[in-house]
Amino acid sequence: MTTMAQPIEYRGKVIDFPPADPKDADIPDEELHEHLFAPSTDRTRRLKGRCRWKHASAGEFVEKGTRAGIERMRLITESHKESRGKPEVIRRALQLAAVLTKGTVVVQQDEFIIGYHAEDPNMFPLYPELSYMNVKDYLQSDYSPQPAAEAEEINNYWRPYSLQSKCEKYFDPIDLTRMYQVSTMEAPSFAHGYNSIVPPYETVLEDGLLKRIELAEGHIRDAKAEMSKQPWDGTKGLDWISKIDNWEAMVIADKAVIIWAKRHARLCKIVAENFETDPARKEELFEMAEISRRVPAEPCKGLKDAFQVKWYTYLLCHGIERYASGYAHKEDKVLWPYYQASVTNKSFQPMTHADAVEMVEMERLKISEHGAGQSRGYREIFPGSNDLFIFTIGGTNRDGSDGCNDMTDAILEGARNIRTTEPSMVFRYSKKNRVKTLYHVFECIRDGLGYPSIKHDEIGTEQMKYYAQFSLNGNGATDEEAHDWANVLCMSPGLVGRRKTQKTRSEGGGSIFPGKILEITLTNGYDWSYSDMQLGPETGYAEDFETFEQLWDAFKKQYAYGISLVIRAKDVSRYMEGNYLQLPFVSSIDDGCMELGREACSLSEQPNGWHNPITTVVGGNSLVAIKKLIYDDKKYTMKQLMEALKVNWEGFEQMQKDFKNAPKWGNDDEYADAVIKRYYEEIIGGEMRKVTNYSGGPVMPVGQAVGLYMEVGSRTGPTPDGRYGGEAADDGGISPYFGTDKKGPTAVLKSVSKVQENQKANLLNQRLSVPMMRSKHGFDIWHAYMNTWHDLNIDHVQFNVVSTAEMKAAQKDPEKHQDLIVRVAGFSARFVDLPTYGQNTIIARTEQQFGAEDFEFLNLELN
Amino acid sequence: MATCEGCAFFFRVPEGEEDFEPGKADCVTEHKDQKGKYWLSKPVFEKTETCQNFRKRS
Repeated sequence: MTTMAQPIEYRGKVIDFPPADPKDADIPDEELHEHLFAPSTDRTRRLKGRCRWKHASAGEFVEKGTRAGIERMRLITESHKESRGKPEVIRRALQLAAVLTKGTVVVQQDEFIIGYHAEDPNMFPLYPELSYMNVKDYLQSDYSPQPAAEAEEINNYWRPYSLQSKCEKYFDPIDLTRMYQVSTMEAPSFAHGYNSIVPPYETVLEDGLLKRIELAEGHIRDAKAEMSKQPWDGTKGLDWISKIDNWEAMVIADKAVIIWAKRHARLCKIVAENFETDPARKEELFEMAEISRRVPAEPCKGLKDAFQVKWYTYLLCHGIERYASGYAHKEDKVLWPYYQASVTNKSFQPMTHADAVEMVEMERLKISEHGAGQSRGYREIFPGSNDLFIFTIGGTNRDGSDGCNDMTDAILEGARNIRTTEPSMVFRYSKKNRVKTLYHVFECIRDGLGYPSIKHDEIGTEQMKYYAQFSLNGNGATDEEAHDWANVLCMSPGLVGRRKTQKTRSEGGGSIFPGKILEITLTNGYDWSYSDMQLGPETGYAEDFETFEQLWDAFKKQYAYGISLVIRAKDVSRYMEGNYLQLPFVSSIDDGCMELGREACSLSEQPNGWHNPITTVVGGNSLVAIKKLIYDDKKYTMKQLMEALKVNWEGFEQMQKDFKNAPKWGNDDEYADAVIKRYYEEIIGGEMRKVTNYSGGPVMPVGQAVGLYMEVGSRTGPTPDGRYGGEAADDGGISPYFGTDKKGPTAVLKSVSKVQENQKANLLNQRLSVPMMRSKHGFDIWHAYMNTWHDLNIDHVQFNVVSTAEMKAAQKDPEKHQDLIVRVAGFSARFVDLPTYGQNTIIARTEQQFGAEDFEFLNLELN
Repeated sequence: MATCEGCAFFFRVPEGEEDFEPGKADCVTEHKDQKGKYWLSKPVFEKTETCQNFRKRS
């Protein structure tokens, strides 16, 4: 029997919490999530049953047979050798064309949305042009491409041409070694190859590629005419050379994409005519062939077209032209015109709303079997998932009206039905959003998916306007365009649409770890607990800091050193990306690149600089404890603290308790919150924003965690917040450290709302009571909570609604809990795929119980 | 020497296709594993030497 929430006396009445669905009462707490899978059709049930998951756990792929393919590596290498002497951007286009026209195309049983990025659906490609270390990592593993000797030869061939080699020489080897520790700073992107992008899907769907080719060819003709004008002016005329090369590369890329799509069309037809025996499936294969023959060459006309073209574009931008994580787009807005054509007006590819929901479920399963080819380090920091796939819905339209529509609802319904960890989604919360859609959002959260995560619509929109002022070509987002944003990855908003979108993670992304930085600040920049080396500048020893301000200033110097170094690494990468890792296909579908003859990585119209502080609250709580117990109350000396930390508190148990019990973030505690507000605004954001990146704007903090709160926690020694060495760090950018927020859910909101200055985004994890959320009052409580959160001007919040009983049952019997999903940080994961260390961090999070005081603060009406 | 031309999986690229070349074809093979069936297509030419998947055209 399920547990019910205890009655609460509130405003003179006793409020009971019976389950909203009476059937819940018969389901034991320990198995709730196994009763929630409800695919809309037999087909999506089958597709989920046979999904080729690419999840990793503790760095290992969960499914046997998953491994790297060699085809992409081989084809780009052949092309690179054959194209010597040609302009670099043309060579990049020819490499893409080689993969698309000579590589294998795949169609699988039952699927309607087709396309894959490797030679077999159990494989994923590698990218030796990015990072030789990453490929080497695979060569040494069970997932090596075969034949391994050929793969090794290819990797050695690319080594001097790789992004990694081109960037490394501009850094002091000491700085590089410090970054490679991944304990105070993330390793540079040129070494790990991790990347993200926001593809301008709209141009492909709305224009079709034949139109893009026509545009580029027109620009080439005009450019040549300009160059022929007399009298010749070399100060201007030579600019046309790179533009002509870029446009020519775009044409090569787009023509190859059209061929690739038509190869899929031929494959569907051949399978229908020669292999398939089921008449209904034969007919469907012919329909699939018709779609891929027509699009993306031509504009999309219906919802089936749109899903297919979106998927092709995704594969090209995220897996074939270059690796990129993410799934950034505003999906309901992109698909809405095609939903209207097919579902509302039935003018093309007529279907019902239920059919649209099935399309959503099928798309989610395509994402679920997409393989990313990340390095082992990155597989470890996304435990229980295969990569970060996150799209955005909801919010507001350009005119400020509610952005929710029936496609938004279909997306939420499909996600709730099919229960996959990927893709995650973001809902932009505005008070203009219709209640019908908000209820679907709530249902996904209540059913424990961990998504949508919620972002504040107005904060994101204002942020787009703010960054626009720094645009180097004076063409940042207009006030209307500022409404068109989606999260680039887990947390940071970026523009979506036909131009001005982010094309590479060197613009924004990457991590810095304040918790570890605080640790080394106490020891003159030296890391005694993990790497045994100097990780930062020499800023003095804790025992010599006579005042809290001296410690504060030392920390600030350590942090500033790290920030400048990591942003420099990204900008050097950006320079090289523009010169050697061009993206001709992405360029061709961006209106800005097309108009200006610029390459996608080089052109920046809308700055979006950010970096991710992770483990921030461990650092903040440590500063609070030091200030309180050493400098204010003088209960202990710094010398005593350092002695205790060096032995991991052993023999100093009472002292550890005192530091553990010092005021903590997330309790609306005036003392703690004052220090931490200053810490976030003056150092975490204040120091970061002093840095200007490639695009000309300030770099701002996007606090979050991914799985790095575990990874870096394990590399961080004991800290003055009372934490033992090696324990996980805080699980979100601004989330209270697990188990230390003891004053209820609204106290957390009050603390978090105090940090307002110099922040781009901050992840807030909350775990809500299952019985309360599943009760008949669940939606009203959540809705009131969300409106209060909105009024407090908080950027983000996301929820786990999963019981400790069910998580512990899954630890004992994982086979029976395959559908148990939890929110880790910016992504959701199958609980049973998490390592035990990670599982325990989810269990340890405070399960917030709403009380009468919370209801009062939320001004909740309950009947 | 046997070539792809005689294989049951050899499907000529029709004239008029953007990637048409004389003698070029799609090599389409069916595969099955514990997850189900899937089909792969790779470009080949009629004079390409046969591979282990060769099945004589009936």
